[in-house]
Amino acid sequence: MASRPDPRAGRRLLAAWLVAIFALSALHDPRWLAGAGLAAVLLFHRGLWRTLGRTLRSVVPVTVGLSAASMGWNRLVTGDWPPLQPFQALALRAAVIGFLTFAVLDRLALLPALAPFPALTRLLVVTLAQIHALRLLSTESLQGLRSRLPRRPGPLDLLRGAGGITAMLFTLATRNARDISDAMRSRGF
Amino acid sequence: MHLPDGFLSPQISLPAWAVAVPFWAWGARRHFGREAAESLPVMGSLTALAFVIQTILIPVPGGTSTHLTGVTLLAILYGPLAAMVCEGLVLLIQALFFGAGGVTVLGVNALAMGLLGPLAGWLAWKLLRGLSEKAALFAAGWLSMQVSTLAVVGALALQHWLDPLYFPVAPAVTLVAMGVPSLTVAGVVEGLYAVFALSLVRKANFRGVEA
Repeated sequence: MASRPDPRAGRRLLAAWLVAIFALSALHDPRWLAGAGLAAVLLFHRGLWRTLGRTLRSVVPVTVGLSAASMGWNRLVTGDWPPLQPFQALALRAAVIGFLTFAVLDRLALLPALAPFPALTRLLVVTLAQIHALRLLSTESLQGLRSRLPRRPGPLDLLRGAGGITAMLFTLATRNARDISDAMRSRGF
Repeated sequence: MHLPDGFLSPQISLPAWAVAVPFWAWGARRHFGREAAESLPVMGSLTALAFVIQTILIPVPGGTSTHLTGVTLLAILYGPLAAMVCEGLVLLIQALFFGAGGVTVLGVNALAMGLLGPLAGWLAWKLLRGLSEKAALFAAGWLSMQVSTLAVVGALALQHWLDPLYFPVAPAVTLVAMGVPSLTVAGVVEGLYAVFALSLVRKANFRGVEA
């Protein structure tokens, strides 16, 4: 039988992670940031490639894109390229914080760790459930629209379709939310 | 539009957390207690809808993109404090489960997009709804977006002023880069969303909705 995650250990890990990410956000020397990144990789080597992949997919493109856009705007407005090193430090800082966040969340059962806050837990569960429900319903509606059209739907087709389905999606999501909320309240949340 | 981790140092992010936490606590006590049984599902759905529309990026000239916030409606229906709590939750879910935004900058983002913007939108709604309801809704959405953008620009400008090596982009550049898309694209779409979404909520005739 699998052992249940210890909520106190989870809360300790959450607290340590919070301290670590704020400390990391204070660094802007690339050498310190690289050292911190290496320490994080050594500490959280289990599932390393998965966590690195997640960081590379969801954190690095955003930071690099924003940095590139900022540098471009700076060049356009002032006529000069800004120094590269602060942007390198920025990208590295965001990547190390992202890696640490994903590595910790992989090892943490978030809802048991949040158990002392029942109202927050209830709202979190209701919202997460609705996010999944809305995404599922919108994907199904998009596939339905695709199947009805002989060509790939364009932006105007999507807009026409969205008006009709959004009301239905929202009504369904709210009824679903009410069921979940009532069920959680009946269990003491 | 919201800031990712690593853009602001603890000199700004920690005081922002210190300011945001009492608002979250006040909002949670006021809107999410036992008596919120009727309104919580609608708030949960609107929060989820805000989350979903915040993931839809609107391309703007210059190769970047912007997005809506979708929480002005929550401020209009339940008050700015409810919007603050719900936007905080959206930002927390984005940071923890999807790697967008971040936890260190959560206080700044929540104050900008969850409190200041929706508060401005709520005030515009209160002031203008007597003239024309649809115009007031549109103005609320548009103004909310501009105030949120200005608050984020202000935080970045403060960071640049504190340490240009930490955030090297000059405030004027940040203002142009973020302000132009907000004024011309995101604000207009946010205003239209507010008009559309409130008519939707009213048509659905949910329990716990008073507006």
